[in-house]
Amino acid sequence: MVESTMNVPTRGRPNGRPSLANALDDAIRAIDIPPRPQIIDRIRVEVLSENPCFHRIGQLIKADVGLAAGLLKTANSPYFGLRTRVRSVSEALVLLGLELTARAVAAISLRRAFPDSAHYVRFWDSSARIAALSGWLAQTLAPPGLNAADAYTFGLFRDCGIVILLRRFADYRQTLARANGDAERSFTAVEQADYPTDHAVVGSLLATEWWLPDEICQAIRAHHEPSAIACLGADPPLVGSRLIAVSQTAEHLLQQLTGASRTQEWTKLGQASLLLLGLTEESLRELHAEAATILAATD
Amino acid sequence: MWRQIDGRSRRLAIGDAERRDSIKRLGTTRVRRRPLAVDSCAAATPERDPTTGFFVRSVGPRLVARLFVEADRTRGTLFALWLDLDRFRQVNDSFGYAEADAVIARIAERIRSVVGVRRTLLRVGSDEFVVLLPALDAPSVERIAGQLLVVVDQPMPLGSILFRPAVSIGIAARSSTDDPLSLLERADRAMMEAKRQGGNRFVVKAAEPPRGASGAQLAREELEVESILHGALENGGLELHYQPLLRPDGSLEAVEALMRCSVAGRAVSPQQFIPVAEKTGLIVRLGEWSLLQSTRCAARLRCQGCRAKVAVNVSRAQLTSPSFLSVLHAALICADVPPAGIELELTESLFMDASPIVQANLRGARAAGVGLAIDDFGTGYSSLSNLKDLPATKLKFDRAFISELPADRRAFAILRAITRLAGELGMLVVAEGIETVEQLAAAKAAGVDATQGFLHARPMPEEALLEWLRAR
Repeated sequence: MVESTMNVPTRGRPNGRPSLANALDDAIRAIDIPPRPQIIDRIRVEVLSENPCFHRIGQLIKADVGLAAGLLKTANSPYFGLRTRVRSVSEALVLLGLELTARAVAAISLRRAFPDSAHYVRFWDSSARIAALSGWLAQTLAPPGLNAADAYTFGLFRDCGIVILLRRFADYRQTLARANGDAERSFTAVEQADYPTDHAVVGSLLATEWWLPDEICQAIRAHHEPSAIACLGADPPLVGSRLIAVSQTAEHLLQQLTGASRTQEWTKLGQASLLLLGLTEESLRELHAEAATILAATD
Repeated sequence: MWRQIDGRSRRLAIGDAERRDSIKRLGTTRVRRRPLAVDSCAAATPERDPTTGFFVRSVGPRLVARLFVEADRTRGTLFALWLDLDRFRQVNDSFGYAEADAVIARIAERIRSVVGVRRTLLRVGSDEFVVLLPALDAPSVERIAGQLLVVVDQPMPLGSILFRPAVSIGIAARSSTDDPLSLLERADRAMMEAKRQGGNRFVVKAAEPPRGASGAQLAREELEVESILHGALENGGLELHYQPLLRPDGSLEAVEALMRCSVAGRAVSPQQFIPVAEKTGLIVRLGEWSLLQSTRCAARLRCQGCRAKVAVNVSRAQLTSPSFLSVLHAALICADVPPAGIELELTESLFMDASPIVQANLRGARAAGVGLAIDDFGTGYSSLSNLKDLPATKLKFDRAFISELPADRRAFAILRAITRLAGELGMLVVAEGIETVEQLAAAKAAGVDATQGFLHARPMPEEALLEWLRAR
């Protein structure tokens, strides 16, 4: 599925020259790493104005059928924590508030922002599942300072840098395989041996560009660093550490439930994650049944 | 709060007879001094310095303490002026100590001629003096400081040349919380600030705001700006504006990205938010955000067939980060721009930062093919000898210097000479702050590679920039 995320109006091309809007649009399309979708900026303009107009934001979202449907689905998902079932974009807006709506729109836009997302179906599906399990875990375990919507967003954006590097470098796939299989070095250290950057830095840059909260951007940057979740001396531990711990645990649950484990991350970060969340492998197994339900609802 | 009053606008000025000397004037080297403390050997040293007749350093705190008591008794004021001769080390190095002593003696005489023989005068370093002025109001003290700048500035023969000394002066007024040492230290800090601003000027450093209303007010304002910045980073309140740099033939050489911040209709100026961002560490995120936005802009310009570089400012906090190069490459990868498409602008002091991490980051960026520009050249500790060692690809003359064109022929001579020198070192030279046709003509005549300023265009949003490009 290839969808444009841009809403640049089409204009004529007098004298055979492209109009500015078209030129910009073409330019943006030519760059295959997604800049921030305009819808996010438009919502942000409202959020930043002194009298945000819910009606106008509603109109913006409704103009994009896929986005509207996505927002309803997200608003009704367990990890955004609404008790009432919403039936319209307007209801979703009122119940979620502007902040969460903007977050939800970013989450929905991410996958759509990448042209040729179809090539990475498995990747995006896995991200969506980890995000859903993260949101649910944050709700179930309720670690201090962590809300489900943040955990969900983090789960979704955490590895988006991988897609960017896959699209840019033909041989990144081999590096990825090696990084997944390395039980000693950190994931990003393996990437840095082959490239001048790594997917965590790329992902955090994109998250910053998409106006995600600081904790999420920082956590994306650090999500493969054992030190980021091992600092138990800090009191209270940073929200970012908990975000990382929750998503690692979510990924581990997913691997346990699906029997597909192709990474070594749990070996490197599992113990610290459990410790930070006050869990044991045993108590984690007790969560399997409910986690399976969440997964089924996601798919 | 800092207050700054320029000396005669002579900075970087040059005359034919004094070219060698004046080029040296670009360097304002500072000799590390002993910390000021009460010298335990004071009793054993004579109280007067034989060269100047001023009191020696070691008796300073005792003399200041005495003036404190006197001021308390009369409920009068007390000001300390810390004077440091600009680039005096070169006199020492080039002419030897006997000549240098003769210069010091003449300058001491000039100081005395302004403040009077009855004032308390100290020689606190080889080329540093303290003047203590009791029972005067602030305007009178500033007037005296202005006279000192003028009188020190008069040429004097030195060997076979005419030497023009210059001095940086720091002024501190005694506050109720001061002790003798804190007053002198504040004057010293003010002098350093005057030096940092280019020397040949004085700077007044007020006492730290008391923990009353004004301190609280300041803290509140900073907190407000900090919260606006957080809001801007998470809600899209940041924007980059771009200002063109034009080659002499009018073609676009580069654009400089400048950050703008506004939240809920309230714009905060860079002068307000950059210091707060630096203090709170938010500058790193702001810098990373603008790095990615700038590379995106470079990509879109390229799609329009425009190969102009996009220059982005980087801060010390970014350059001291071990992940700086990773972030730089990530931005280039995300925007799909070759490294030569962007340029990093940093101050000369950052270029000369000796820390291994800064040097590794600079050389790493350069090795990757990213351009490096020295920003605000000519305002700080600019030194020609350092130029040859810097991995810079561009040198940007500060607007304060360009503003003296075309009237100041010596400024023009410096610009022309350094442009030629920089060219031979493989650097492009840019004149910033071009506001008039005459300044542009002078900059072109000096041979600069590009000019930037309101005369060409103000900084503008990306869409306006694209329109501007199309309209040309």
